[in-house]
Amino acid sequence: MKYQVLFIAVLLVMAALFAGCTQPAATQAQTTPASPGVIKIGVIASLTGPASNVGTNMWQSAQVAADKINAAGGVTLKDGSKAQVRLIVGDDESTQAGGQKAATKLITDDKVDILVGGYSSAVTSAYEQTIAEYKVPYIVTGASSPVITHRTDIDTSYIFHHCPTTDTYGQYTTSFIDQVVRTALAKKYGYSADRPLRLALLYQDTAFGKGVQTAVNNTITKNKLNIQLVSQQSFKMGESDFRTQLTAIKAATPDAVYIAAFPNEGAPIITQARRDIGLNTLFLNVENNDNAQFYKDLGQYGEGAIIESRFSPYTAPAGAVADAQGAFKQAYFAKFGTYPDMMGASTYEGVFIAAKAIGNAGTTDKTTVRQALVDLKMPQVIEAMKDQTISFSPDYRESNFDLWMEQLAMNATAGETRPAIVWPDNLKTTDFILPAWYTAGSA
Amino acid sequence: MDNLGIFLQIMFWGLYAGCIYILLATGLNLIFGVMKIVNFAHGEFLMIGAYITATVFLLTGINPYVILLLSMLALVGIGAIIERLCFRPILGTGKLNEIFLSIGLIYIFQNGAAMIWGDAWQSVKSPYDGITIPVGSLNVPLDYIIIIAFTAAILIALYIFLNRTRIGMEMRATSQNRKGAMLVGIDVERIDVISFGLGCALAAAAGTLWVVSGQVFNPYMGSIPAVKAFAIIILGGLGSIPGAIIGGLLMGLAENGAAYFLGGIWKDAVSFIILIVVLIVRPTGLFGDKGE
Repeated sequence: MKYQVLFIAVLLVMAALFAGCTQPAATQAQTTPASPGVIKIGVIASLTGPASNVGTNMWQSAQVAADKINAAGGVTLKDGSKAQVRLIVGDDESTQAGGQKAATKLITDDKVDILVGGYSSAVTSAYEQTIAEYKVPYIVTGASSPVITHRTDIDTSYIFHHCPTTDTYGQYTTSFIDQVVRTALAKKYGYSADRPLRLALLYQDTAFGKGVQTAVNNTITKNKLNIQLVSQQSFKMGESDFRTQLTAIKAATPDAVYIAAFPNEGAPIITQARRDIGLNTLFLNVENNDNAQFYKDLGQYGEGAIIESRFSPYTAPAGAVADAQGAFKQAYFAKFGTYPDMMGASTYEGVFIAAKAIGNAGTTDKTTVRQALVDLKMPQVIEAMKDQTISFSPDYRESNFDLWMEQLAMNATAGETRPAIVWPDNLKTTDFILPAWYTAGSA
Repeated sequence: MDNLGIFLQIMFWGLYAGCIYILLATGLNLIFGVMKIVNFAHGEFLMIGAYITATVFLLTGINPYVILLLSMLALVGIGAIIERLCFRPILGTGKLNEIFLSIGLIYIFQNGAAMIWGDAWQSVKSPYDGITIPVGSLNVPLDYIIIIAFTAAILIALYIFLNRTRIGMEMRATSQNRKGAMLVGIDVERIDVISFGLGCALAAAAGTLWVVSGQVFNPYMGSIPAVKAFAIIILGGLGSIPGAIIGGLLMGLAENGAAYFLGGIWKDAVSFIILIVVLIVRPTGLFGDKGE
């Protein structure tokens, strides 16, 4: 019996140690006491659980931003005094319950002045009630469902959305399909203008995936686009075997397939489609897939695929944005030995936005800071914004990004595909092409 | 592609998915049959098997189908240690202890794997990636044919082991009547270790075949397959190896059929609908004994 007790004690200690090993930053930062001349920014990120890859990137990007702000002397308040930025992380554990715990702790125990972060619309939605209750300004930089600021069941007036929503990129990608893919098909196959473009959708059965599905349907209807949705297939979040849905899509003979999936789903979808199903069509992906792991997982099967993007590990539009993104990537690499991804980029900017809003407000009073965010007009940081300015729309407090479409081509040196911007004209570095192996759909 | 071609293709994907389920569920049933313990951490052995295969493959470049044997052997050892240190001390003390112990093991294995390998999604490419074999109207990847062949070979080997070797017969005897087996001189604790190790090795085989098929994996990958494995052994009958095989196959085919005819969100639900129907009609499962 004494051995059993001893063994269970050892097990518990091991579990605690292992659990601790995966979230050292959280433990360290959350015990930091408050001090004067310091702005406390809470960062909600998935440090553990299935979304920990993205969450860790968001948290580390926030640290790079804080380092840069503090190295430049900190945030200048209205009275001329300087305040240093101190980050405190809350791990949402990639779950709704974890998100609720993290938000409550950051607000009530750590008493943060402002919040940044939030990945997965389902997780973020779960703790918005807490944000509404305590009226803490929150800059959401990862969850992409428009529901985040559009919902009416709670007060979302303290929540600001700094990442493109599924509405935005669903609409953007559908426009690309209509304008660019249609033209290329007509040129290669001699199709007449009245032939409907045959589009298939494969989407994650969540607020995110359904948001993309809704955006595509609405864009087609609203703009009267000659696009026929020949198949709309869904899958559960975290699924790894998509062959059955892809078989159904292949049977519908589409001209292109729009995939609304996370990177761990998007790469297997394209691989299984081309390798196992023989579905040699054009695959279009949402922006969160644009990270190094996605390219690695895709291998040669990524050839010809399209990604809607705003921050890529391997390309950037020419000009000031490219330089700023390059500097951020270098600073991130110097600190962590890896490269940031897209959610990291918007979280990096989120910390700058938070610091700027508090600086403009001249106080950490939450009502005043909220108003400063409403009135905010600051130059773009590292991502291309409409009018090169970060500001939030008056209706749903959403910032307005300048998006682009990339096409992947095989890079013999890397042994993987690499992206090049093909749309819109003011940002593109090369032209869109239909791959030689591409097969158009037929009615 | 005509309707028959589509149907055959979907059934083939179901057969492939069924292979993974069969190996996982057979291992789970082997352990339950002999020890009568509920191990919710069984999916974590699949995950460890997947990581061992992927790691050795990436480090050495050895054919992953060869590494399958190494992975199974490693899991025999790990399984034996877990049985000896964790499950044996609580054997017979109540199902609640087994459930909480196995839940604890899930966290330990998941966090341990995340610490060693990181918790990002990973995938590897089989040496036969891209090679397809035409089978009737299907264009079947060579890897899936190998996976089905390996599953069949492992099950035949298991059948021979259980029916033609002394240890196998002792395992069956212990499964049928533990006290009776003890009375005729069988060292049931030794049989427990072997059964647990063998069950874990089958999970490792499932993990290896998961990896070589090009599916993504991370430290949390084992949870859903483990839940499905439990559904399969209840469906097939607790402790019944043929039940696990038929249940696994049925589950794979039903899931893929449902995903095609009803939509992807029904993929998981349909398995449990079948389970509920079978339990209403035949509470012991398809091949279960009343005693279980």
